[in-house]
Parts: sequence; structure tokens; C-alpha cells
Amino acid sequence: MSKQRTRAYKARIDKALATPRLQDTLHRFADAYLISRENAFAGHDFAALRAGIAAMKDEVRDNREEYLAQFTRNAEAAGAKVYLARTAAEANAYIVSLARQRGVKLVVKSKSMASEEIHLNHALEEAGVKALETDLGEWIIQLAGQRPSHMVMPAIHMVKEEVAELFSKVTGQVEPAEIPHLVQVAREQLRQGYLDAGMGISGANIAVAETGGIALITNEGNARLVTTLPKIHVALVGIEKLVPTLEDAQKVIDVLPKNATGQLITSYVSWIRGAVPCGDGSKELHIVLLDNGRSALAESPHCKDALRCIKCGACANVCPVYQTVGGHVFGHIYISAIGIILTAFFHGLENAAELVRACIGCRACVAVCPSGIDLESIILHLREVLGEEEGVGAGKALVFKHIMRNRALFHTMIRTASLLQKPVTRGERTIRHLPLFFAGLTEWRSLPAIADKPLRDQWAGIVQKVEKPRYQVAFFAGCLNDFVYPELGHDLVKVLNHLGVAVSFPQEQNCCGVPALYSGDRETATVLAEQNVAALLAGNPDFVVTTCPTCTMALQRDFVDLLRDHPRWAAQAERLSAITIDISRFIVEKCAGGQALAGRAATEKVTYHDSCHLKRGAGVWREPRQLLAASGRELVEMAHADRCCGFGGSYSFTSHPDIARHILGDKVADIEKSGASCVAMDCPGCLMQIRGGLDKQGKSVRAAHTIQLLAEMIGKG
Amino acid sequence: MTGAFVAALEKVGGVAVNCDTPKHLVGYLAENAPGAVVLPPCPSLQRLDLARHLRAAGVDVIDDDFRRHAPMATAGLTGVNFAIAATGTIVLESTAEPIRLASTLPPIHFALLDPRKIVADSAVAGPLLRRMHARLAQTFLAYITGPSRTADIERVLTIGVHGPKELHVLLCEGVSDDFMES
Ligand code: SF4
Repeated sequence: MSKQRTRAYKARIDKALATPRLQDTLHRFADAYLISRENAFAGHDFAALRAGIAAMKDEVRDNREEYLAQFTRNAEAAGAKVYLARTAAEANAYIVSLARQRGVKLVVKSKSMASEEIHLNHALEEAGVKALETDLGEWIIQLAGQRPSHMVMPAIHMVKEEVAELFSKVTGQVEPAEIPHLVQVAREQLRQGYLDAGMGISGANIAVAETGGIALITNEGNARLVTTLPKIHVALVGIEKLVPTLEDAQKVIDVLPKNATGQLITSYVSWIRGAVPCGDGSKELHIVLLDNGRSALAESPHCKDALRCIKCGACANVCPVYQTVGGHVFGHIYISAIGIILTAFFHGLENAAELVRACIGCRACVAVCPSGIDLESIILHLREVLGEEEGVGAGKALVFKHIMRNRALFHTMIRTASLLQKPVTRGERTIRHLPLFFAGLTEWRSLPAIADKPLRDQWAGIVQKVEKPRYQVAFFAGCLNDFVYPELGHDLVKVLNHLGVAVSFPQEQNCCGVPALYSGDRETATVLAEQNVAALLAGNPDFVVTTCPTCTMALQRDFVDLLRDHPRWAAQAERLSAITIDISRFIVEKCAGGQALAGRAATEKVTYHDSCHLKRGAGVWREPRQLLAASGRELVEMAHADRCCGFGGSYSFTSHPDIARHILGDKVADIEKSGASCVAMDCPGCLMQIRGGLDKQGKSVRAAHTIQLLAEMIGKG
Repeated sequence: MTGAFVAALEKVGGVAVNCDTPKHLVGYLAENAPGAVVLPPCPSLQRLDLARHLRAAGVDVIDDDFRRHAPMATAGLTGVNFAIAATGTIVLESTAEPIRLASTLPPIHFALLDPRKIVADSAVAGPLLRRMHARLAQTFLAYITGPSRTADIERVLTIGVHGPKELHVLLCEGVSDDFMES
């Protein structure tokens, strides 16, 4: 079953990747989105708005029984009938039987993701009731027999020519592929539907407990017709849409359009409460409150924040994976990062199994989410759950459990691998194939060789030139720095010594555990966390410095989380977290901004690539730029500097190499366009990816770690 | 405040028209409404006796049997409860169905607003919203910001999909200073 599932999924990826038009559309949209979003939030405090939404939504989640009761009471007092559907089947059954009882033949619908979620149209059609989508995008999708590929713009994957073809079939004449014309066709074709329909079905963006009313945030005007003309109005509302008061509702309205489409407000916000007048009488209003997994989500300690989601779709807009393959691959019904989580709870973990691994972990979504949801952490957790259920893959499991946990064995194997790789080493430092658990996927990027002698074995020979050190720091190298780029360790010592800092290399340090953790093997990650905490604190250093931001996040965040319930380790993990700091920030904050590094004016033009985990994990992006500028480089910004390079550890090796390759292609193009002769970054993983991509494409731009560029200036000028 | 409102309204594709006198107003409507105009019972319209004046000016006015006639009308004319300057939004309490029909079905929506009823932003609008909810057991309140729009085909912004293609806000001082009426 799962093999078949995986095969079908891979086929969908291949198909999407073979559609350059899709990537082009989504990339252009993403660029335009970022600009309009920025304009919309100009003069507003996004962080404060976000905190307001998160707190309000948490309050509702934690007291949802009371708010549900309050909403129901008020809605019923205003003449609505409220039904709480525990499952999709219950919701469908209620709506279908209502339509049957009232003899409804035609239903007009305005946009509702909840109705997509429960496959309501299908249920209606089965009962002989025609469901007509009236939102333009939804109608297009309905005509095409597809599902939405975006929560806000359902037909974003289609071009006007395809739409014209679909509309031509409806009208029976050739409709030109001109957008204003097509929009007019939709207006004319759908108009009669509102007048004929016996029932209108809408969703709701907000349900206000204190009034018992709902609010709809829309642009096209179809929802106003759907809720006005037919005699019966059914509003299908996920219970997470509840807010306590009108002021809370306003908080959502103040943020949603800005974050969704960069509009200050949509054309329409409709506040509807109760059985409003309709023709000669009054409207028959039914509010179907949908649970369908939401209570389970509210109860999940790791995932519950996802219930804050206001369905703005922004997490898709900024996602490099979404931009590469679209929502028909990276989504089930709900798409992108939030889609992974909602799918797991609304449609079952089985349906989320592939998607959970499709996230590259770049945290772009986390930065843009107006509800403050740490989507990446929740996805990682789901990956762990899935790892427990489906296993993490036999080969990987073996490596994680039996090799990585045994540091001596693990490191011996890497050393051996360095000998074994000799025959396939191309030139001095680049190989065709990486042994061990890295698959041989090198046709689109060159990969570096494992060093003859890892940093740990070279360390004793590195002479430290520092008299009275102002700090004593321990260096956590991480696997790549240790075994692939040992020279960065030399650079680090050179720079830190120059700044009056002595560096030690605790030999007992092991892999940070991220490869295991991100593959869903929490147990191995925990063992590695213990080993590292012990190793790094042993010498009682002032700080632990890192050159890899993924390791930084492991030391600062994951170890604390992994060891929280281990009485022996919890406090020590906290301590390690508190003294861990990436090298650029360390120099800026602890070594007087690295003034001692200021070099002569160099001619080199450098552009900077923000590593995902450094910028959005550690919040560091100004510091390396400051250091590079101080070292005399001319800094030029590339477009999308903080967009993921597509490395993602095993993501680019084994799980989704084809997607990773496309994302790398975008990065290389941006680097080249910047006109810089050097691209700097603060991550050996990004370095491996970007250097490999530049090399493979024969570009003359060199890729370097910031610490290397700083080391180059010492002794010069 | 009026200036800020007009600027925001124009940004979203709405039209603002200064109508100093009721006469001016009738003239503008007669000139810009190419066919029948739906006139729901809004106090500010009634105060100016607009149905009579428009008819006198030769405009085909629909003021009853709205469900039957509104789908064929070319314009709807409503009052406005109040407006929000920051976003160029008009707020229209449209619980009475004719007001909804007039502002959703025809291709043009004319909205008569007394500029004294423009407030700064959504924060100021909050208490007004609350008052409206307190007055009526059932409510249909509409925030309307510009004409109807879509970007569902290739993300190209296109005006006038299912709702009005044009929104004209007619600014006329003296017609109403009551935020609870339109
Ligand atoms: S998770 Fe956040 S960014 Fe994504 S749709 Fe929900 S609110 Fe928007």
C-alpha cells in the first residue's frame, strides 16, 4: 500500500516538474505577493497583530465548549438552526437530507474550503442535487474536474487558454482567451443560478460567539448573492473559526486580506446574523459547525497551535516546495505547510504520509504566518509520529540506531569511507558519489569529498596564537564541518585567536542528531543529544560556537525539547542552549563587532545567501553582512537572498532530490544575476549545495563560508 | 477625513463624486444611470424624496417588487450608514432585503454618503458595529470597498465579476448624520 502510494506521489512530482509553466506562474506570483504584502502591512506592526490573533485563537481553543455553546445560543435566538457535525459524513448527511426535504434541485455555493474538505459536492450530486460553484476559481476547478491547488486562489495553476477552453464547452461557442471577457462569461453564465437555486451554501471566515453571527471575507460578490437570493442558506463553518467578540473578529479582518493577497481589505465583508428577511418571509438559515478532527487537533499537545490558522494561504505563497510543484502535489485538500497538518487530522495520517516528508524545513512559512504557528516544528513532530508508525526506512534506521549512536564506530566508518571514495574522487575535493548513507545523486551538483583527515584528527596540530584569551569557547563542528570541510575549523581558530578567543574541540562530540530527528527517529536524536550535552559542557566553556545553523538550532532548541523529561539532562540542555551561539553573532556581539578584522578595501564583490536556519531559526542575518562589509568587501544583495537553497540535508539526497535540484537552480540564477564574484553564507550544508550547483553549471562565482572570508583578511592590508 | 476616504476609495477603483446640492445629485444619477435604478427604502433617500425627483428627471425608478425587477436593473442607489477612511470602505446595514438586492445585482452601485459620517479606521468603527447588532435581532451588515473584483485567472486583477462593476460614492452633506441609518 505505502509503496504504491509513494510511487503515485513520485509520479505527481515528476509531472509537476515537467511543467515549467507551473513553476513560472508560481514564482511570479510569489514575487508579486511579497511586494504587495509588504505594502499592505506598511505602518502596521505585524508582530503585534500576529500576537493578538494567536492569543485570541488560543483562548477560544482552550475554552471551545463555552464559546460553542454561546455561539449556538445566540445564533438560535436570532432564528438560525445550528447543527454540530462531528464528522464529514455527519455534515454531508445533514445538508443532503435538508436539500431532499425541501425539494432542492440546485444549490449555489460560494467558496468554502470546509466543503472541499468533506467532499460536499460529491455527496449532493449523489443525492441528485446539482451543486454549482460560483466563485470564479472554484467554478473553473469544478468544470475541469479538479481540486483547488491553493486555498485562496483555487485555479492558480491554470492559464487563460485552459479556462477559455472550459468556458467554450459551457457556452457552446469559441470563447477568446481574454481575461476580462472570460470574467464576463462567468458573470453571465452563473447569474441565473442564484435566481434558480433553492439553497445557497457558504463557508464562513469567522463565527462570532457573542452575536451568533458569521462573517464572510470576499472579493467577487458571489457570496452576497448566494446568501441573499435562495430561500435557504447553509453556512458550513469549521469550529476553529469561532472568535469571542466583534472586536476579535475585526482582528482577523485587519490581517487576513493583507496577508492573503496584499489587500488592505477585501471588496466585501459581510456580517450575517440570524434569519434575515428573504422575499416575503425570512431566510431559513442553517449553520453546520464542523468538527471533523478539529477537537483532536485541539487536544494534541504538539500540534494544537495549527488550529489558530485563519486560512490566508501565505504559507504556500512563500514555500519553495510549493512554488516548485504546486498544490496538487504539495497538498491533499488543504495545501502546503498547514495542509500537511490539517490533512493528518482531517483526512488521516495516511493521506499526509508523503507530504510530511515533502517539507524542506526552511521555515519561510513560519516567518509569514499571521497566527504565529511554528509550522515546521509541528511537521517535524508528525514526521516522528509517522516514523514510529511506518518506520524510518530500513537502511536509514540501521545507520541511525546502530552506527550513529556509537560515535567511535560512526566516525571510524566515515574515515574508512574517505579511503574508499578515493577512486571516485574527481580532482582533489569533489567526488561523483558519496558513500555511506548519502545516495549517489550527484548529476546536478558536484559533491565534496570526505576529507582525508577530519578536523577532529587535525585539531591537536592546530597551533593557537592567543595570549590572554578574553573567552574560552568550545567549537561544535557538526559532521560537515568536521569531515568534509575541516579547513573551516582552521579558519575559525585563526579568526577567533585574532580576536583574543581560545578555542577547544571536545573530542566526544557527535552528530547533532538532526538527520535522525528530521527522519522521524526521535530515539536516536535523544541519545545523540545526551552525548553532545555531556561532551560540550565538560570543559565548562564560556560559549559553544557553531558554524552550522542547523546544528545551532539543534543545540539551542531541539536538545532542550528532547531532554525535557530527562531529569539528569534537562537543566544541562538548558545551559548548553543558553551558551550556544553561531560564529557571526558571536563575533559581532562578544568581540566588539569584529573591528579587529577590518581589512583593506578589497575589490571582491560579495553577495550573501541567508541560510534558512540562521535567519529564521536563530534570527541572525544582519551580523554576517556587517562582518563582510567590515572586512572590506563590497556587499551586493541578490534577489530572494533568504530563499532556501534546496539543501535540506537528506531532503536533497534521498527524499526529494528532484525538487531540491529545482530550488538550487533558482538560487544559482539569483546569485549569478547579482553580479557578485563570490557568494558568502554561514552554513556548510548550503555551501555544499551552492558550491556544487555553481561548479556543476560551470559558473565562475566562488562560494565561501563567512568565516573563510574573514580568515582571508587576517594578515592582509 | 473626506480626503483620506476619497483617496482610499479611488485606490480600490471606486469613484467619489461631490454633490453639493440634491439637484446636482439627481443630475449626476440621471446622467450616469443608463437604465432602471433600484431605490430601496433608505431614510436618507426618502428624506430627499429622490424617487420623485429622479422620475421627474426621466429616470426609470424601481421602488417595489424588488425581487422581480432588480435582476434587470442597471443600477442600484442606496444610502450609507457610515464610512471608514483608512480603507475607503462604506458600511451599509442591509438587513432589509431590497437594500441587498440594490447593492448586489445591478452592474452599478450608487451610494449616498454624508461626509460627516466618515470615521478614521476600523477601531472607531467597532463600537458602531456593536450598536447595530444591539438594535436588530437579525442583521446583514456589509462592508463594501470598491467594486467587485477577482484575480482568479492568472492573478490578473479584473473588476466586476459577480457584484457591481462600478461603485460611485456620492458625497452630499446634510442628508444624514445618523450612523444607524442609511
Ligand atoms: S498556517 Fe498561517 S500562513 Fe498558513 S494559511 Fe494558516 S494562517 Fe495563513
